[in-house]
Amino acid sequence: MPAVELSHIIKSFGSNRAVNDVSFSVDKGEIFGLLGPNGAGKTTCLRILLDIFKPDRGEVSILGGPMTEAKKDRIGYLPEERGLYQDIQLERCLIYLATLKGLSTSDARQRVSQYLERFDLAEYRHKKLKELSKGMQQKAQLIVTLIHEPEVIIIDEPFNSLDPVNTQMVKDLLREERDHGKTILMCTHQMHQVEELCDRLVLIDHGQTVLYGALEEIRHRFATHDILVRAPDGLPNTIRGVQKLEPINGSTKLVLSPGATAQEVLHELVNQNINLEQFEIAVPTLDEIFIRVVQGTGETS
Amino acid sequence: MRKFFRIILYEYSRHVLRKRFIFALLSVPLMIGLLMAISILAAVLSINTTPIGYVDQSGFLAHPVQLPPSTDFFTRRVEIIPYQTEAEAKAALENSAIQAYYILKPDYLTTADASLVFLKDPDSSIKNQFMDFLQANLLASQPAGIATRITEGTEYTIQSPDGKHSLAGSEWYNILVPMVAGVLFIIVILTSGGYLLRAVVEEKENRTIEIIVTSVSPGQLLAGKIIGNIGVGLTQILAWMIFIGLFVLVGRSHFQWIQQIQISGSYVLLMILALLPAFVMVAALMAAIGSTTTETREAEQISGLFSLPITVPYILAIPIITNPNSPLSLFLSFFPLTAPVTLTLRAAFTELPLWQESLNLLVLFLCAAGAVWLAARTFRLGMLRYGKRISWRELFSKAG
Repeated sequence: MPAVELSHIIKSFGSNRAVNDVSFSVDKGEIFGLLGPNGAGKTTCLRILLDIFKPDRGEVSILGGPMTEAKKDRIGYLPEERGLYQDIQLERCLIYLATLKGLSTSDARQRVSQYLERFDLAEYRHKKLKELSKGMQQKAQLIVTLIHEPEVIIIDEPFNSLDPVNTQMVKDLLREERDHGKTILMCTHQMHQVEELCDRLVLIDHGQTVLYGALEEIRHRFATHDILVRAPDGLPNTIRGVQKLEPINGSTKLVLSPGATAQEVLHELVNQNINLEQFEIAVPTLDEIFIRVVQGTGETS
Repeated sequence: MRKFFRIILYEYSRHVLRKRFIFALLSVPLMIGLLMAISILAAVLSINTTPIGYVDQSGFLAHPVQLPPSTDFFTRRVEIIPYQTEAEAKAALENSAIQAYYILKPDYLTTADASLVFLKDPDSSIKNQFMDFLQANLLASQPAGIATRITEGTEYTIQSPDGKHSLAGSEWYNILVPMVAGVLFIIVILTSGGYLLRAVVEEKENRTIEIIVTSVSPGQLLAGKIIGNIGVGLTQILAWMIFIGLFVLVGRSHFQWIQQIQISGSYVLLMILALLPAFVMVAALMAAIGSTTTETREAEQISGLFSLPITVPYILAIPIITNPNSPLSLFLSFFPLTAPVTLTLRAAFTELPLWQESLNLLVLFLCAAGAVWLAARTFRLGMLRYGKRISWRELFSKAG
C-alpha cells in the first residue's frame, strides 16, 4: 500500500483551476520528486495532501486513509514559505512546535538539544529567530520537520537558502531518513537535486500530470540515439551513420542518422583508427527532459 | 486536547511573561496612583499653613471651643490665634505671623457681621476651617444630636418605586463603579483583542501558520488563541482589581466614602454575564479580521471599526445615566458592540426589566457564537491567502 496517494485531484480558486486531475502515489521508503515549473500547482497539491485545502474533486490517502488529527503527528512538513516565530528564542520556538507534533515537553527539550548540536545551532539556542541568518533559520525549520521522527516527510524546496556545505548535509540527511524506511516527498524545481536523490517522480505543468514514473525509466524514455564522444586528436568531418556533430563541453555529440546504431558508429571510429577517451550513449538530463516536456517537444519514442 | 492546552498556554505566556506586558500591567495603576498622589500632594502643599487670627469684638469667643484634630491626612489644620485688638492683629499680619485675620463685629451674634483682612486671599480650605470653628462655638451650647444634625445639613435620597435602587445626594461615589467598570472593560477587551489580532496576522506574516495547521486543526488553533488571549485580558482585569482592592483597603481609613460604596451581587453577575460573551465576540471578530488581512497595520485599521462602537456608550455616558430608559439607551443596550458597557451603566441607575436583561444577554451570547463561527470560517479560508480578500459569497458557500 502506498504511503501517499492522490487520485484525480481537482482544485480551483475562483475561476483559476490550480490542479486539474492530478494523480500519483508515493511508496513507503522512497524519495519521490514532485516537479514542475513555478505556478504549476505543486504547492497546492501538497496543501491538499496535508488537508490544508479541501479538493473540489478526487481522493487523497495518506498513511492508509484520509488525513486525521492523529496522523498529523506522523507527518513532517517543510513548507516552501519558510517561517517561524521571529520574536522568541530559537530553543523555545522549536520546543513549542515539537510539542504540537505530540512530543512531551521533556522529550521535545531533549531532542531539540540533540538536533541543535547536529545542525551546529547549539550556541544560538537563546537567540531570537530574527537574529539568525536565513540559512540558520532554514536549518531550524528542518529541525521542526524532522524532530518528531515522522513516517512521511514532505518537503517543499528543501535546498533554498542553503550553502553547498549545508546542501550536502541535507542531502545526506534525506538519504539517511530514507534508509531508515521513511517516505520522502520532495517538491522542487532544482532538477539536479532530483537526479541525485529521487527514485521516482511526477512532473506537473499547468495543474496537470505530464510525466510520471521511475527516474531511470523516464530518462531512457527520453533518451535519443545520440552519442557523446571525446577524441583528443579530433574527429573527421563526416562519419558514416552520423548526420550531425555538435560540440558540448569539450566533447562532441554525434546525432545518428535514422537506422544507424551506436555499435556501427563505434565500429566505424575504430576502423578509422581514431583515438577515443569517451564513448557513451547521451542520456538526457532531467533539466533537458523538463524543458522538453514543459515546452511541448515531447518524448523521442 | 493536550495540543489545545499547549496553544492556550503558549498564547497566554507569550504575552503575560513578557516584560512589556508586566510593565503595561503595572504602569496603568501606578501611573494613575502617581498622578493622584502628585495632584493631592500639590494641592496640600500649595495651602499656606501660616496661622490665621481673629479679633472678637462680640465676646462670644471668650472661652473658645477648639476644633478636634483632623483625622483626614489631606486636611491640614492651621492654628487659630485670638487677638485683643485690631492693631495687634494687623501687626501680626504685617510680620507674617498670620496670613489673615477676621474681625467679628460687636453685634456679630445678631448680624453675623464679620470681615476678613488679608494681604493675599487665603485658600478656601482655610476660610472653611474658620467657618467650622465659628460653627462649633455657635453650637457649643446645643445638645450633641442637634449640633450634629445642623452640622451635617440636609440629606435627600432618590429611590425607585420598588426600593431596589436608591441614590443619596451625598453618594456621588456610586457612579464610580459603573464608570470604572466600563473603562476597564474597554481597555481590556481592546488590548486582548489587539493581542489576538496581532497573533493571527503575525503567524500569517511570518508564515508559521502553515506549520501549525499541519500539526493541529484550524479550529483547535483558533479556539486556543481566543481562549489564551481572553486569559490575558482576564489577567489584566484581575491584576487591576487587586490594585483597586489595595486602594480601597488603604484608602478606606482616609476616605470615608470608600466604605460606603455598595455593589450588589446581582449587578456583578450581570456584568460578568455581559462581559464574557462580549469578550468572546470581540476576540473572534479580531481573529476574523486577522485572517483576512496580511499586514498588522491593515488589520489594526479595520479593527478600529469594531473598537469605536465599544467606546460609544462611554462617550454617551451622561445621556445614558440621566435617562437610562430612553430610546437611545435601549438601542445601545441591544446593539451587540455597545451592549456590554451600556448594560452596566443602565443597570446601575435603573431597574432593568427581566425581559430586557434576558434579551440583551441572549443577543450577546448569540452574537458571540456567530462571531466564533465567522472567525473559524474566515480563518480556514484566509489563513494561507495573501493579497486576495475573501468574498462574502465564499464565506457563506458550502465548500471550503
